[in-house]
Amino acid sequence: MAPTYLLSFLAFLLTVSPTISTNSEGNALHALRTRLLDPTNVLQSWDPTLVNPCTWFHVTCDSNNHVIRLDLGNSNISGTLGPELGGLKHLQYLELYKNNIQGEIPEELGKLKNLVSMDLYGNKFEGEIPKSFAKLKSLKFLRLNNNKLTGSIPRELTTLSNLKVFDVSNNDLCGTIPIDGPFSSFPIQSFENNNRLNGPELQGLASYDFGC
Amino acid sequence: MGMIQICPLVLFLSVLGVLTFTHGDTSMDSSCLQRIKSQLVDPEGVLRNWSSGIDICSWNGLTCSEDLTHVVGLNLSGSGLSGIISPEFSCLVSLQILDLSSNYLTGPIPPELGKLQNLKELYLYSNFLSGKISAELGLLKKLQVLRVGNNMLTGEITPHLGNLTDLRVLGLAFSLLNGSIPVEIGNLKSLKILNLQQNSFSGLIPGEISSCLELQVFSAAGNMLEGEIPASIGKLESLEILHLANNTLSGSIPIELGSLSNLKYLNLLGNGLNGKIPVELNQLSMLETLDLSNNKLSGKINILNSRLRNLESLVLSDNFLTGGIPSDLCVSNSNLQKVFLSLNNLSGTFPSELLNCSSLQQLDLSNNGFYGQLPSGLDNLRNLTDLVLNNNSFSGKLPSEIGNMSSLKGLYLFHNSLTGRIPVEIGKLQRLTVLYLYENQLSGSIPRELTNCSSLMEIDLFGNHFTGSIPATIGKLKHLVFLQLRQNDLSGPIPPCLGYCKKLQKLALADNRLSGSLPPTFRFLTELSVVTLYNNSFEGPLPESLFLLKNLSIINFSHNRFSGSIFPLSGSSTLIVLDLTNNSFSGGIPTRLAESKNLTRLRLGHNHLTGTIPSEFGQLIELNFLDLSFNNLTGEVIQELSNCNQLEHLLLNDNRLTGTVPSWLGRFQGLGELDLSSNDFHGTVPAELGSCSKLLKLSLHSNNLSGWIPPEIGNLTCLNVLDLQRNNLTGPIPSTVQQCKKLYELRLSENFLTGMIPSELGKLTELQVILDLSRNQLSGEIPSSLGKLMKLERLNLSFNQLQGEVPPSLGRLTSLQMLNLSNNLLQGQVPSTFSGFPLSSFVGNKDLCGAPLVSCSESVGSERKWLSDNEVAAIIVAIVFTSTVICLVLIYMMLRIWFDWRKVSVSSSDSGGLESNREEMQWFYGEDNEKKNGDYWRVNSLTSVQPQEK
Repeated sequence: MAPTYLLSFLAFLLTVSPTISTNSEGNALHALRTRLLDPTNVLQSWDPTLVNPCTWFHVTCDSNNHVIRLDLGNSNISGTLGPELGGLKHLQYLELYKNNIQGEIPEELGKLKNLVSMDLYGNKFEGEIPKSFAKLKSLKFLRLNNNKLTGSIPRELTTLSNLKVFDVSNNDLCGTIPIDGPFSSFPIQSFENNNRLNGPELQGLASYDFGC
Repeated sequence: MGMIQICPLVLFLSVLGVLTFTHGDTSMDSSCLQRIKSQLVDPEGVLRNWSSGIDICSWNGLTCSEDLTHVVGLNLSGSGLSGIISPEFSCLVSLQILDLSSNYLTGPIPPELGKLQNLKELYLYSNFLSGKISAELGLLKKLQVLRVGNNMLTGEITPHLGNLTDLRVLGLAFSLLNGSIPVEIGNLKSLKILNLQQNSFSGLIPGEISSCLELQVFSAAGNMLEGEIPASIGKLESLEILHLANNTLSGSIPIELGSLSNLKYLNLLGNGLNGKIPVELNQLSMLETLDLSNNKLSGKINILNSRLRNLESLVLSDNFLTGGIPSDLCVSNSNLQKVFLSLNNLSGTFPSELLNCSSLQQLDLSNNGFYGQLPSGLDNLRNLTDLVLNNNSFSGKLPSEIGNMSSLKGLYLFHNSLTGRIPVEIGKLQRLTVLYLYENQLSGSIPRELTNCSSLMEIDLFGNHFTGSIPATIGKLKHLVFLQLRQNDLSGPIPPCLGYCKKLQKLALADNRLSGSLPPTFRFLTELSVVTLYNNSFEGPLPESLFLLKNLSIINFSHNRFSGSIFPLSGSSTLIVLDLTNNSFSGGIPTRLAESKNLTRLRLGHNHLTGTIPSEFGQLIELNFLDLSFNNLTGEVIQELSNCNQLEHLLLNDNRLTGTVPSWLGRFQGLGELDLSSNDFHGTVPAELGSCSKLLKLSLHSNNLSGWIPPEIGNLTCLNVLDLQRNNLTGPIPSTVQQCKKLYELRLSENFLTGMIPSELGKLTELQVILDLSRNQLSGEIPSSLGKLMKLERLNLSFNQLQGEVPPSLGRLTSLQMLNLSNNLLQGQVPSTFSGFPLSSFVGNKDLCGAPLVSCSESVGSERKWLSDNEVAAIIVAIVFTSTVICLVLIYMMLRIWFDWRKVSVSSSDSGGLESNREEMQWFYGEDNEKKNGDYWRVNSLTSVQPQEK
């Protein structure tokens, strides 16, 4: 009896032992790592005990030690993304293209206020394009092509005035293509190979949810 | 009647028999025991008096029958014996008790023991016996106690043990037994204690166990038992201890357990049990310990101390329990001492009813969703030694009454939302050893009274808003081992008396506004192993006596203003991490650092270090990270460094290093980042670098490298960034660079590269940040394949001799934001989508037309000299004037940025090797977006370009 108690008390002491590192961005990235399968060990250098993640490979920081780039494109990783990624408040480039990442795109990515480029193309993402992306006011490049996304293109995205590139080709989207705001200039190739996607919608005539 | 007559006869005959053999019996035992002795090793000499000259009944460990004719007991427990258990034991036919426990015996349990028909108790536990439990033990009909645990016995439990119907105690714990628990266990009607703990038993718990109605103790913890707990266990009314922890049991807890009216100890921790905690457990009025932790139990806590009057320990941690703590969880006059409810989904405010629970010694509510203020009546818990409330959402102030909790040893309140000050009353807690208040919103100064808590060993106040200085009386804490004050707003110097906390092992003062120099009293901190002072304003030279601190393993003084020599930090030969980035250290790099053979991370960048890289660094074969960038180092990259083949980061940029780029770098198979930029390296880019297959960043810019770019560069298939700009490289751009498929940044500008732009560059479809080939001698046409670089945001081909038309495919580069094709020999129409770029993107070419230049129809009609010489002169003057102004402004801004950067002093080299492009980084990634309206940047957004096209 006594040893069991001693053990459980020791275990509780372990859980409360002091944390040396609680840099939020490093924690967010480390949480991402726990969700990913990484057969080629590209995340090997991600040591959570370091003061910050700035010397981890595939992570780039600015001069204030804030993470601004995450480059894991074409890295043979699989698994899912989680809400923690929303904690990378200074992130400008999220490059996760050409992997086997599945599951839904977390709506928390909408918190990345400084994001310039989100490249999730060439994965197995499913579910809908989060409406929260409408909050990404700095976003210029949004490439979600070659996934398994469903649902309609959120009309809210028409408010992204900086958006230069928007590519959702080769998904399973439905509804109509918006034409407002930046959508007025995206080429039709950006929407190809979505069997149930119609449009571009005629302004004022086709309903947003038409055919979805 | 016949029976009665026969009985005396049998008795007579047996007495006769005993009498006949009496003499021969002990002599037989004697020779038999000698043979047993001969197979034992007896270093302590306990068998010394086992000799024929001495009466056998006085031999050590032996017990004779009352008539001194038989050996009935042999007890050699804990005698230091090794050797084997002799089969000869079988000749001690009268033996009733055999105890060889706690020795070093090896070999098997001999099956011959099965012949000891009179044996009642057999103790062989705590030896090194191996082999199986032989079936012959099942012949010992009179056996009442069988304890053979804590050996290396293997195999299954023989079902023959089911024949031992007199067995009271069966102990098989701590061995390597496997298989399932035999159903024959149900035959052991007299069994009181069954201990199968810590084996590898699998399968189900047999329901037959419910036939062992005498059972008082049943422990099968630490096995691989599966399935449900048989409900029939509820019939074992005598059961006092039920210990099934750490198996893989599933299903819900059977409500029948509530019938075990004598149960004192119930431990089911570490299984996969689900469902609710049965309310029937409240019938266990004798229960003292209940541990259901680490299962998948859900629902509310319904364990009520009002009915479990004898409960002392309640452990429900690590489940999925919800709701609050029931108000009658603990009533006054209870015996409840330990309540562990951590790692659940419990919520609600701190239950005030719990404050009546004056018997409570340890309370753990950590890792739940509790909120609200801590009650001022906490001090009612006057016997509490550990208060563990971390990882909740408690808010408000720390009640000053906490000072009355005189038994308190551990106060764990970290990761809550507590505000206000630490009450000065805390100084009354003379037994307090651990104080973890980190990650709260506490403020004010650290009260001097805290240093009255003379038992304190660990203080962690990390991540609060404490201001003021470190208490000048901190030196009173003689037992302090761990002090973390990181990430607060503390200011002022380190009090010299900190040096009197002589037991201190870990000191973390980083991320504050502390200043002054390190006090010389630091030399007394001889136990100090980890010291992190980064991001403060410490200054001055280090006390030379720091050299005396021989246990230092992790030092991080980065981002301060320390000056003078590094030498005082080289006294320890156990260093693992030394980070002095961004200080003002000067002098040479001490060769003594090479004494720390386990050094993995050495960062001395951004200082004023001089001299050469010590050749002794070749001994640092564990080195993973070497950053000597931004110093004034001279000399060559010494050959000895080639031993450091574990290096993943090698940053020597921005020094005055000379010589060639060593070809042995190609042997560093783990190298991910190599930055030798801004030095005086000459010679070629070694082809061997192509062997660094994990290289992500290769930066050799701003040197005097000459010769051709080796085609082997194409072997760097992981490469993200290649920067060779500002060298004297000649020859063509190797077409093999197309294999660097992950390149997002490619800079080859300001060299003497010749030939055509290889069309293969069009395969680098992930190019994003920039493709810069400017200021070379490239000729030929721009390959139309560059139109495939769909992600490219900046393209600079200026100042070359490119000719022909701008390929229309470039017009599809929708991501392009900066374009510079100026000062080439281009002609013809620019793609219409380029109309948003400024004129400066195209000037200095042969004959380009189309927006933003003159329209092509105009340019065809007009002659070359459509401006008078005077007008040309005026334009030139204007251009020279404006560019001079721009240059001056840029220089001013760069100086500002430079000074800011020295001031802010954030770890530039932590920015992953991009620091050399700092200004550009700010320009490109940076906050001041308005700058992009300058030269070469697309002014209009695509949306506004589009209508022009229509």
